[in-house]
Amino acid sequence: MIEFARASCWYGPVIALNDVSATIGPGVTGLLGPNGAGKSTFLKLAAGQLKPSQGEVKVLGAPAWGVPEVFHRVGLCPEPDAFWDGLSGWQFVTFLLRLSGFDDAEVNRRAEAALVEVDLLAAKDRRIGGYSKGMRQRVKLAQAIAHDPQVLLLDEPLTGMDPVNRHRVVELVKRLGREGRTIVMSSHVLYEVEAMTRNVLLVHQGRILAEGDVREIRDLLDEHPHAASVRARDPRRVARAVLDLPEVVSVEFGEGGDSVVVRTARPDAFYAALTEVAEEAGVYEVFSPDEDLESVFKYLLARRGGAR
Amino acid sequence: MSADEKALPPPVPFLRAARAVFDLSLEEMVWSRKSLVMAGLLLMPVALAVLFRLVANLKHAPAGIDLYGLVVAMYYLRNALPLAALFFATALIADEVEGRTITYLLSRPVSRASILCGKFAAYVVTTLTLTLPGIVVCFFLLVTLRGFSGVAAFVPDLLRDLAVAALALCAYGALFTLLGVLLKRPTIPGLVFLVGWESLANLPGWLPRYTVTAWVRSLISHRPVDEGLAELFQTTLPAGEAVVVLVAITILGLAGAYGIFSRRQFVLDQ
Repeated sequence: MIEFARASCWYGPVIALNDVSATIGPGVTGLLGPNGAGKSTFLKLAAGQLKPSQGEVKVLGAPAWGVPEVFHRVGLCPEPDAFWDGLSGWQFVTFLLRLSGFDDAEVNRRAEAALVEVDLLAAKDRRIGGYSKGMRQRVKLAQAIAHDPQVLLLDEPLTGMDPVNRHRVVELVKRLGREGRTIVMSSHVLYEVEAMTRNVLLVHQGRILAEGDVREIRDLLDEHPHAASVRARDPRRVARAVLDLPEVVSVEFGEGGDSVVVRTARPDAFYAALTEVAEEAGVYEVFSPDEDLESVFKYLLARRGGAR
Repeated sequence: MSADEKALPPPVPFLRAARAVFDLSLEEMVWSRKSLVMAGLLLMPVALAVLFRLVANLKHAPAGIDLYGLVVAMYYLRNALPLAALFFATALIADEVEGRTITYLLSRPVSRASILCGKFAAYVVTTLTLTLPGIVVCFFLLVTLRGFSGVAAFVPDLLRDLAVAALALCAYGALFTLLGVLLKRPTIPGLVFLVGWESLANLPGWLPRYTVTAWVRSLISHRPVDEGLAELFQTTLPAGEAVVVLVAITILGLAGAYGIFSRRQFVLDQ
């Protein structure tokens, strides 16, 4: 479905992706790596937004660059938080469906179905400029899935989502993967990828460092706990709810007083507890700094160096 | 060719895709701050004409058609329309790149030509909507300074001016669309072109033929006395040739813009 054949991409003197060969088939594949590793470049090449400097990238058998018809079957949820802010969620999704060639009745039907999937139907007539970060992430996802693509490319789709919608989106992506679509999701948060799939590509410094089962690197996290920064109207309520969990290693209040940073060896238990207090504490954003993943990559690289 | 590739349907038909882009671009342009500023610029002569009618001694005022001709030639064609074209047309693609919304347009099964044409059509409709009513109102305010008698005789001039304004907006718009996809920051070079290069139209000899403004002003029939050196050297080019040249500038400008737009990796600019 997605084939990289010795593909490289460089921006001037900077090599963003270096001689990458990979074949990605149906199901969910996590593209995991720290910021600047080359994940976004990988996705932009697959989405035909960039032309490989060398090698070849194919999607559904056609070159990803310069073949617009491939986008009948490809959905892209880009990473930048960018919109035509004057549009409502409904206008945004329907406009992009019209660009996919659907007639008015089909546009309306598909837009409604996509907005229901991401729980935005009630807010469909509000301007995107007034949406929260999590809602903007979800409307981006809605436009990516609305035309029922076979291949779905998701660039950091969970960034900024609250726990309830994070769970909803994780379940949606898993379901789409089970339906036989080829889904590539990039993230710098191991826990996010792990929640959706076991199949990962580890990207580091523009190369595929490893590919396979996420559980193989999961054990390393015992040494490098997962960090989550939670922004809420009442961060103390969040802290109280998670402080007594046995796997929580540390809880610190962030600068500005509206966030709390939690480190835990069991992210699933932490997120379950967080979901319970999310509404009461007014949780409006959750994100993970990537220091934990950086540590895992350093470890992997050191181990690889040692093995040589 | 693989089974996957064979199964791909063709891109969305050109007109359908261009229409969708046109609708969105029109909505974005009409309700933008830029349009408010440009509406002020393009409707300023109307306000001045109203003021003139209120305060001027109409018995000693110059002939209304001369005043109107001055407004069309010196204000609209020489200054306001090229400026409107500069600010709208250079931004057609640049705003999408800067706002990082270009990714949505380029990840749909549509040709890049349909995106460019849809946006250019929205530019033409927006600028014509802001310009033509102002010219018409100015015409009636100024030409009727001394009453309505004889106004009908000048209506063909008005119609011709409206057509020339439309042609000027297309030609300048195409050039500035090209500049907008060619350069990352096209506004200053565009201003330099308008203030510097276009001034060559006032020189004697063959140089005016290389400016847009010389061709545009050759098309209006009631040209007023121009400023400074222009009075001495103002060149009039054949009207038929002027139409052909302006249409050619429009087509070549858009073709050049498409040539760049179709190959460019806009992600690199973000």
